[in-house]
Parts: sequence; C-alpha cells; structure tokens
Amino acid sequence: MPSPDDLVARAQAGDQTAFRELYRQHAGRVYALCLRLTGNAGDAEERTQDVFVRLWDKLSSFRGESAFSSWLHRLAVNVVLNERRTTKRREQRVMPTEDPEDVGAQHAAPVHDSSGLRIDLEQAIAELPNGAREVFVLFAIEGYGHADIAALVGIAEGTSKAQLFRARQLLREKLDA
Amino acid sequence: MNEHELDRAVSRLPKSIEPPRDLWPGIAARLRRRARRTWYWVPLAAAAVLAIVMIGRTMETHRAWDVTSLAGRPLLGDKRLTASGRLRVGDWLQTDDSSRALVAVGRIGEIEVKPGTRLQLVAARDNDHRLALARGAIDATVDAVPRIFYVETPAGTAIDLGCAYTLETDSIGNGRLHVTKGEVEFATGPRSSRVPLGAVIQTRPAIGPGIPYVDDAPLPLVRALVAFDFEKGGARAARNVLAVARAQDALSLWHLLQRVDASLRPMVYDRLAALLPPPPGVTRARALALEPRALEGYWTKIHSIHFRRIILKGVRDVDPRTGTTRQHE
Repeated sequence: MPSPDDLVARAQAGDQTAFRELYRQHAGRVYALCLRLTGNAGDAEERTQDVFVRLWDKLSSFRGESAFSSWLHRLAVNVVLNERRTTKRREQRVMPTEDPEDVGAQHAAPVHDSSGLRIDLEQAIAELPNGAREVFVLFAIEGYGHADIAALVGIAEGTSKAQLFRARQLLREKLDA
Repeated sequence: MNEHELDRAVSRLPKSIEPPRDLWPGIAARLRRRARRTWYWVPLAAAAVLAIVMIGRTMETHRAWDVTSLAGRPLLGDKRLTASGRLRVGDWLQTDDSSRALVAVGRIGEIEVKPGTRLQLVAARDNDHRLALARGAIDATVDAVPRIFYVETPAGTAIDLGCAYTLETDSIGNGRLHVTKGEVEFATGPRSSRVPLGAVIQTRPAIGPGIPYVDDAPLPLVRALVAFDFEKGGARAARNVLAVARAQDALSLWHLLQRVDASLRPMVYDRLAALLPPPPGVTRARALALEPRALEGYWTKIHSIHFRRIILKGVRDVDPRTGTTRQHE
C-alpha cells in the first residue's frame, strides 16, 4: 500500500488518482467531523466536499511538520467554521426560532448502530444549539482545548467553557427524557 | 444520566462515519470546473505554466545517466556499448550472459547491472529517479533522502529509503530482494513489506512481496513463510511460522501480524510479544486493532534491535530480545 507520505507527495505533484485515494482514506473522518459540527447530513456532505476542494488548493502548503491527518483535520474544522460564520445571518433569517420539531427534521442524520444509546447521543448532539454543539464536538469528541476552540470559533475562552457546560447539561436532559 | 455516563458514551462514539453516498464525483466535478475557470480568467498565467512544463519536459528528455561497460558489450538502445554511453529516459539497457554495466543514478548513487538483465530508464527527475527492471539482477547503492529512487519490477516497486540492495526478478515477477544497507520498502498495490538491512523478501507475480526474513533465517521458517505468502498456507502455515520463529525473527512476525486473519492475530501477537516485548505505550489491544502508531512504535523497537544485531555481528553478541550486549562468563 502506498504510504501516506507517498500519496501526499503524489497529490502535491498534481496526481488526481493519489488525491482520490487520500479522499477514500480520510472521507469518513472528515464526514464525521462535518456531520457533528453542522448537525445536518446534507450540510455535512457539502462541507466534506468543500474540505477536499480546499485541500486540493492547500496541499502545496503542507510541509509535513505534523501528521497529514492532523493537518487535514484542522483544515476541515476551519472550513466548517468559516462557512458557519459566512452563512450565520442568512440561516437566522431562514430559521429564526429553534422549534424542536423543525430542528429534529433538519438534523435527520441517521446513524445505524446496534447501540441505541449511541444513536440517541448522536441525535442529541445534532439537536444542540449551534454554539454549544460546536464547542462540545471540538472539546469532548475531537479533543481541542478551550484556548484552541476560542481561537477557532472566535469567542472568549470563558464563553467556550460556558457553552460546554450548557451543552453537557442539555445533553443529559435530552438523554434522560 | 450522570457526568461519568455521558463521558463514557461520548468516548465510544466512532471517529469515522462513512458518508451515505460517494462524494468523490462532486469533488472531481468541482475541481474540473475550477481548472476551466482558471484557464478562462488567467490565460497568460496558464500559458506561462504550460511553457514552464514544456521546458521542464524538454530538459528531462535531455537528462541522461552515464553508463559504463564493466564486461562484454551491453546493448544500449540499439547500439553495442564499447566503453561508456548515456542512458536517456525511455532507453533500454540490456546485458547478455557475459556482459555487465555500471549505471550512475543521477548524482545519488549507482547500480551494477548483472548479466542477463534488461532495464529501462523511466524517469530522471531530481525527486524521481526511476528504473523498470524487466528481468535480471542489479546491485543498487544509493545515498539520498528516502523515496526518490524507485525500481519497478513485474511484481511491484522497490522504494529506496536510503540503502544498498540486490534485486533480481524473472520476466513475470518471481524475484528476491536482499538489503545490505539501510531499508527498502517493496510495494504492490495495497500490499507492502519493509525490508531492513540483513533481511530478504521474495516476490511473486500478481501477489507482490512476501514477508521479510533475516538472511540467516532457518530453512523451516523460510518454507513456512513462503507457504503462508504464496501457497495459500493460511492458519497452518502461520502456526508453523510461530513454532520456529526466534527473537531475531520479530520483523517477520510484525509483518505476519498484519497479514493474518483477525482471528489469528492474538496468537501472532502473543508469540511476538513473548519473543520481543513491546515498547512502553504499545498495548495488546492497540496492536491487535492494528493502530498505526502502535505498529510504528513496535517496528521502531524491532528495527533498532535488529540493526544493532546486524551491525555488531561478529564483533559483539547482541541479545535479540533486548538489543543489549550479552556478557559471557
């Protein structure tokens, strides 16, 4: 199997076959991140495509100082959060209130698993308010610290901690309901 | 649900979720559209890039490697080589039963072309020195950063990681790679083997590289590996490998761990761990899950002990379990 370094080098040289293989290897990880950050399956598909189009543009700047997967992960977070910022106002016009039923329909992102709890938890995360969901996903699932999250999302560290507290409280309530 | 239960449930969420449909066609279409748009809006820049590419290609075709005859009269292209010549991209070099040649690999090394060999220069770029070995044998010595010297054979590609080696193959891909310095990766599609100095792999057409073994491995071990790799030996062959493996054969078991069925993995891991204990941080569960970092950590330890044992062979007696020098009474 070509090594990750080999694939990246070939893709950097313009080899689309190698780039497709990179897509194949990393699509699941990127899609999972996009799905959880957006809480919406359709948006997650679009953002996943955005990430790989952006990756094609940015590949030449990858110098190998970190693992490629970590670098791609960071790129994906930035793509999703930037998109969120630019569409925030439009989204507020389209969905001014968070009617739980509407939100549930929007967030239809079925995740099939033998564990009912996992499905409930995925659904509960998807139904969190945007700010709380982003902080929770980045902190609790992806392992970022509050300082990093504050810089990525454009909020204060204290706000990140407060959002996390709120997200955990909401999740426990949803899962207990 | 309390805090602890929530944390536990979160920790069990999968890191990867496959998209419900293949997103690649959409990505490829967007990349194509962007390429067309770029051409439309920036024709001059594109023309400049094209010109640079054309110049680069022209220069590449003019790049050539020096060839010197060591014995007899090798065939370079359609001409007999009397003393020396230039091997250009696309050229074939052929030796008969009584001729040999020396080829300079750009400025990074050289290969001796043994009798009965046919090879072609495929690429001669600074970051891609590439030969195709159609049949025969070569001794390669390269002093360069990894992954810029490649030799393609009918069974797969030898990728130089900074090393010296002998590579031989017949015209359909039955071959052998013996590494004498550094490390070589031999890859065929998704299957690859890492071969450090003092180790050997065999290759077969349509299968690619077998599991590497040390060049002084006992014959029963080699037979069991060949049965596992190339003769569909399955679980029985794997058990035979484990039965005869010694601590110095850890590099073979490290590869075997990744090639056996998941049901046999615990058995292979336990034998490997008994012969050469894993380094701190590499747990049984992580190794059985074939986590890349765990496997890489284990390989680093196996490789460093193996390296020390080979380098000090005949000078000091190195314990193949620990890499330390044995004290004799």
